Amino acid sequence: MYWGLIIGTGVVFGLGAVLLVQMGNPGNYGFCAACHLRDIAGALGIHSVATLQYVRPEILGFVLGSFALAKTSGEFRPRGGSNPLIRFVLGALMVIGALVFLGCPLRGILRLAGGDLNGITGLVGFAAGIVAGIAFLKRGYNLGRARVHAGAGNSAGYLAAAVAFILLVGVGTHAAFLRFSVQGPGSQHAPLIASLVAGLVAGAFAWRTRMCLSGGIRDFILVRDTYLLKIYGVLFLAALAGNLAFGTFKLGFVGQPLAHTMHLWNFLGLFLTGLAAVLAGGCPLRQLIMSGEGNTDAMFCVLGMLAGAGISHGFNAAGSAAGVAVNGQVAVLAGLVVAGAIGWSFREKTTAVTVGG
Amino acid sequence: MREEFWVITFPSIFHALRGEKLLAASRIPAKLIAVPRELTGSCEGLAARLEGEEVARAVAVLRENGVQMVKEGVKITR
Repeated sequence: MYWGLIIGTGVVFGLGAVLLVQMGNPGNYGFCAACHLRDIAGALGIHSVATLQYVRPEILGFVLGSFALAKTSGEFRPRGGSNPLIRFVLGALMVIGALVFLGCPLRGILRLAGGDLNGITGLVGFAAGIVAGIAFLKRGYNLGRARVHAGAGNSAGYLAAAVAFILLVGVGTHAAFLRFSVQGPGSQHAPLIASLVAGLVAGAFAWRTRMCLSGGIRDFILVRDTYLLKIYGVLFLAALAGNLAFGTFKLGFVGQPLAHTMHLWNFLGLFLTGLAAVLAGGCPLRQLIMSGEGNTDAMFCVLGMLAGAGISHGFNAAGSAAGVAVNGQVAVLAGLVVAGAIGWSFREKTTAVTVGG
Repeated sequence: MREEFWVITFPSIFHALRGEKLLAASRIPAKLIAVPRELTGSCEGLAARLEGEEVARAVAVLRENGVQMVKEGVKITR
């Protein structure tokens, strides 16, 4: 069971991503919680980059897969109320950083498995951001406890799954309320059913294993827990094997799909994502999974991620194959200041209780 | 083989780390772990893993020192 879940999760994400690219997704773009959500933001008109508009069914699958499994196992417990506005801001920061690197940490691993060495720079930055986040945790950073939603508030827990379902119907029927890219990365995608099934299965595994790109590194640093790290390892090997088998492995820094070689900004972009993810209690993928299981704080974080995509593309702050423009550099530095301020401000004070005094 | 142990969970990493220090100072064997999957789907927290006979003493020590706990001793069997 232990290894079954590790191998299952790693293979579904790693090999699944490579297969999705074979079926039409852009290069090293089988799964990405940040960029896929960015494409959804485009489809909803939150940004207006014509080439980045498609409701990626992989993301809908993450939410619905997590929802289905949480619901059937009796672990669907709507809860929230732990500083939702701050979680919104952290969600935006995670995606602003990820879009400078051009990928969430999950895509960072997938890029590396495709031979894109910029993945190393980004992932090292991500780990460094987690270390910075842990420093805040150790100083007492805490956004406060979430509460289980009772009564009518309970229905709020279904919102993420309901919206995912509506968007799924929308993308399936090519509904007029959504935008669809006719060229560029947004127009490249695997058949809907393949993307959806991949997302559902991956979402179910991610829910079961609590797969989290920041959580695994955080728990390893804090308590030497290696469970999630093993999943990353299998994921990397599965994607690497798939890329080698399909001939999509290309080693180097230059000319990689949806990537640039500005090392400092690859590093700092995912540094910001790692820091914000630790402060928000989960990476972009994990936030989607928790949204599915009824966590309304995670839903605020996902809304923030959508807003972050809007900010990135609205202000031309996202990276591109040409690199990171000044706006993107300013956005990352400003994001680090904001994340640092959040980490510093939300420290709880210890209340030492003296007994018998 | 069935494994059995007890855990105390905390509302934040800060309390968990403080708890770990206090338990060590009181010579109560405890090890911080990620919160067991059986308890919560959330991955935000750490838990202290203990043997059954130590739980009551550990909770008392933590409470005396103002460490906040979420679950004050839960048995995990797997």
